[in-house]
Amino acid sequence: MTDTTTLAVAARAVGATKIYGAGDTEVRALDAIDVSFEQGRFTAIMGPSGSGKSTLMHCMAGLDTVTGGQVFIGDTDLSTLSERDLTLLRRDHVGFVFQAFNLVPTLNAIENITLPMDLAGADGDPAWIDEVVDTTGLGDRVKHRPNELSGGQQQRVAVARALAGKPQIIFADEPTGNVDSNTGAEILDFMGRAVTEMGQTIVMVTHDAAVAARADRVVFLVDGKIVDELADPTPEGIRDRMNRLGT
Amino acid sequence: MLRLALKSLLANKIRFALTTSTVVIGVGFVVASFVVADSLRASFDKLSEDIVSGTDFTVRGQLTFGDLTETEAPLLPEELVDQVAAVDGVESAAGTFFITGVTPVDGAGEVVTSGNAPVAGANWTDDAAISQWYLMEGEQPRGAGQFAIDISTFGSYDFELGRDYQVITPTGPRTFELTGVMQFGFPEDAGLGAVFSIFDTATAQELFGLEGMVQTIGLRTEPGRDAAEMQAAIAAVLPDGAEVVAAETISEEFSDAFEGFIGIFQNALLVFAFIVLFVSTFIISNTFSIVLGQRIRELSLLRAIGATPGQVRRSVLTESSLIGVAAAALGIGLGMLGALGMRGLFSALGAELPDGPLPLRLRTLIWAAAVGIGLTVASSLLPAIKASRTPPIAGLAEGAGGEAAARQRWRPIAGGLLAGLGLLLTLRGLFASFNSTTAQLVSLGVGAGLVFMAVAVLSPLMARSVVSALALPLGRIFGTSGRLARANAARSPRRTAATAVALTIGLALVTTVAILGQSLKSSFSQSLQNTVAADFIVSQGQESLPAALAEDLRSADAGRVVAFNSVQAQVGGEAHTITGADLDGITTVANLGVVEGSLDGLDPAGDLLLHQDPAGDYGVGPGDDLDLTFPNGETRRLRVAAVYSQTATFWGNWLVDRGLVTEMSPTAGDTVVAVDAGAADAEGVRASLERALEQYPQANLEDRSEYQASAESNLNTLLVLVNVFLGFALLIALVGIVNTLTLSVFERTREIGLLRAVGMTRRQARRMIRWEAAVVTLYGALIGIALGLGFGAAIAAAIPADIIDVITVPTNQLLLYLVLSLVFGLLAALFPAFRAGRMNVLEAISTED
Ligand SMILES: Nc1ncnc2c1ncn2[C@@H]1O[C@H](COP(=O)(O)OP(=O)(O)O)[C@@H](O)[C@H]1O
Ligand SMILES: [Mg+2]
Repeated sequence: MTDTTTLAVAARAVGATKIYGAGDTEVRALDAIDVSFEQGRFTAIMGPSGSGKSTLMHCMAGLDTVTGGQVFIGDTDLSTLSERDLTLLRRDHVGFVFQAFNLVPTLNAIENITLPMDLAGADGDPAWIDEVVDTTGLGDRVKHRPNELSGGQQQRVAVARALAGKPQIIFADEPTGNVDSNTGAEILDFMGRAVTEMGQTIVMVTHDAAVAARADRVVFLVDGKIVDELADPTPEGIRDRMNRLGT
Repeated sequence: MLRLALKSLLANKIRFALTTSTVVIGVGFVVASFVVADSLRASFDKLSEDIVSGTDFTVRGQLTFGDLTETEAPLLPEELVDQVAAVDGVESAAGTFFITGVTPVDGAGEVVTSGNAPVAGANWTDDAAISQWYLMEGEQPRGAGQFAIDISTFGSYDFELGRDYQVITPTGPRTFELTGVMQFGFPEDAGLGAVFSIFDTATAQELFGLEGMVQTIGLRTEPGRDAAEMQAAIAAVLPDGAEVVAAETISEEFSDAFEGFIGIFQNALLVFAFIVLFVSTFIISNTFSIVLGQRIRELSLLRAIGATPGQVRRSVLTESSLIGVAAAALGIGLGMLGALGMRGLFSALGAELPDGPLPLRLRTLIWAAAVGIGLTVASSLLPAIKASRTPPIAGLAEGAGGEAAARQRWRPIAGGLLAGLGLLLTLRGLFASFNSTTAQLVSLGVGAGLVFMAVAVLSPLMARSVVSALALPLGRIFGTSGRLARANAARSPRRTAATAVALTIGLALVTTVAILGQSLKSSFSQSLQNTVAADFIVSQGQESLPAALAEDLRSADAGRVVAFNSVQAQVGGEAHTITGADLDGITTVANLGVVEGSLDGLDPAGDLLLHQDPAGDYGVGPGDDLDLTFPNGETRRLRVAAVYSQTATFWGNWLVDRGLVTEMSPTAGDTVVAVDAGAADAEGVRASLERALEQYPQANLEDRSEYQASAESNLNTLLVLVNVFLGFALLIALVGIVNTLTLSVFERTREIGLLRAVGMTRRQARRMIRWEAAVVTLYGALIGIALGLGFGAAIAAAIPADIIDVITVPTNQLLLYLVLSLVFGLLAALFPAFRAGRMNVLEAISTED
């Protein structure tokens, strides 16, 4: 991890601004944010509730559009894309893990994992998919429907889906927010391995300093602005920063 | 609780509108049926009054049996008019005629037609109040060369006073000068669309071939005379076979006679209305179930903070009552429009209903309210009870909206019972013997209704596997959206079944009608093939042909001419329709299929040909005698000459000579005239027939295939009418599919958002919803067509063999129905698919529920 400066950028925001409402009720969820996420790195986003973490994830993943500035996935400027192209970009180049309800209830685990590829009518890389499925540790439960899986298993399937299409970047918004800490650790291990062993790029929102400490870098968000960041963080370092930021 | 119900309604406007619309259509149909029938009643009640206004008594020939609508009263001798007039206290008396089959031809050569009303001839009387013919323009027609025409015909056809026109009368076509325009009833016209040619009495007698006779005698007594005394005094001068009847009684008789067909008409419309309502029940109930299922968190919260099950139930029932009230009110409005629409529909199909006010009676309003509110509340009863059983912790459990997978053991049992009972009643309705048609139809209708309910109960048991099987190709064709469509269609069997059942009922009925229609056609064509040997057929729709026509064709010397007419007669207390035919030529136009006896050397005055069914019923064969009593009171002993096996539309089970029928009923025209070309060139014969028929422009000359085609086109008109009405049931089914799908899409907001987030395009999302709908409709359609096949075949089998003896399945039509259902489903999905496609990804995935 010495030559970080030469790494290619998987996604970046330039002056990204998101304003909800107008006039008196105007909320500036993102306020001219400049940030880059390099390939093969695991970034954690932290900040108080309402600071704009989810908004940033959504805008960068092409689920939402910024009202000012630009967002790039690789070299593609999302603001130039039509609704359809944005959808195809999400399908082919971005992975996403939500806090909950990540899976389609009528599809079994393996079908959920290959869903983006199936939607594209593509086969994907079978060896890679096998590997991803293996790492979920689901075994023969991959043929089960989501309602027959535990919360942790469901989230691992969600991460596996994000990984299966070899996207340029994966955004995860509090992926462990809805599970107990043991399960959370399981999921986090899984994501960590995806970065270190599979070379994935992951950006993850979390409230938990211990969780954030697993990342290569932590970015702190307050009132829609990036106020600080830490490289190679430790839990203590993170708590220290957070206390200073008043959360 | 009222506030809660109101709020819940307002919060779900689309669902509210969709649910309400199904009830509105049903209520509207009920209202329109009553209003149209009441409008007819109002017109005909007025007619019944006008017929006798201005008279106090009518003298007429006594009916030996039957009633006015079936038979005509025997005629009276002309001298009786003077004898009645001479009775002390009679102010005025006159003989009157009303003879159908008198047709004028206008200046442009167009034959005057009337739709369903009679085209008739009548006479005017000096005392206009007695005949009710009032001169409006010109002069009264006098003598053999003049006639008048009724005012509405004068207005709508090309007629001018003082010019000559052709009128086709029972004694042949004649030319008259048009001298006057007359109106039936005063001050308003009460003709109801009937066409009248009016003559003076002597001319009428001569034209109608009734010299020395009158049909009825209308009379008025001096003011202040005692009615009962007068009736007795008049009765005293009457010969046997004549009677004097008070005006009010005559008016009532007419009213009753009209009510006979208006009532049937009204009930036929109501049957369709109730089919629509029946189908709506399933939709409303299904909607309530889904909505309450979606509101399970809200309901459990209510229960947790202390709402009793009763309160929850009442809140749901209040909601449904509100929907019912709104629907009933809207339905009444729609019904009034619908009544106008129905009139338009009937007139478009050539069955004009008289214009008149559209009376909205209290009875109609009560029915609308009862049906609208009652049905909605009843449909919501089960869902309400289920909702009231929501445990307070239900909302905490995950996976709201999913279906309890608990085995429902009651389903096969209840379904089996319903199906068994339903089939029993249906079969009883079809094959048992009944005293009244109503009882038979009720048995049939209730039976069919129970079978449909059985389908609704049993369908969830098989919905999942059948739907999955049907949708199997979708995955291969459309990939993931196809597979998801399949999974969604199969995920809630109960919902899928409830949604499909409306379509099932609609299509089952449409299929039944299609099979009956096709079987009727092929039976008719086969009977025409096998039993009718005539090359040409002359007819005039439902009207009878003037007797002179057959004579004129005979003198044209074009083939063998055999005319048919008919009269009622009683045999052993039971009335039968007796066909008259020119017996000496019958074998040239009819293949009777004689099984006993022979047709050689028939005696026209005393021989009877009998079908094997009545021969069996009466236990007679060739050589045996039967006594036939005719409407004029005369009884004839006829000898059975032969027993035959074939009937056709021209002749039924009893055949006598045409002369005998004319003798017993002088006013009977010919129903049809058949011509056999024999060895002569058919084209040549046709040309001569056409020439002879030039003076009878109202008569249709058709060869066998033309005759069959026009009979089929009449049947097709009826089928179109029935299908239009059943179309409303299908419309409800469509609304039901839209409704369920809209709710399901709403319910799956998060899921669809997720799919969109991971890369499902809008088009793929729409496709997924569309094919889900298509699969559900296909499922409903298949069951419907299967049921319809069963019903259709059973009814066809139960219909007597002389009407349907071949059961034919219109395969292409049924395939078309299947394809149309698919299109139907895709159409129903337009709106929900649009909503799904447009769903905001972020809102969808952040939906709190
Ligand atoms: N759809 C929306 N409409 C209006 N305001 C919104 C919407 N979504 C988020 N916000 C506002 O934007 C700000 C940032 O929200 P969010 O990104 O969800 O914060 P976080 O995820 O950090 O808790 C908050 O003030 C929130 O109220
Ligand atoms: Mg958030």
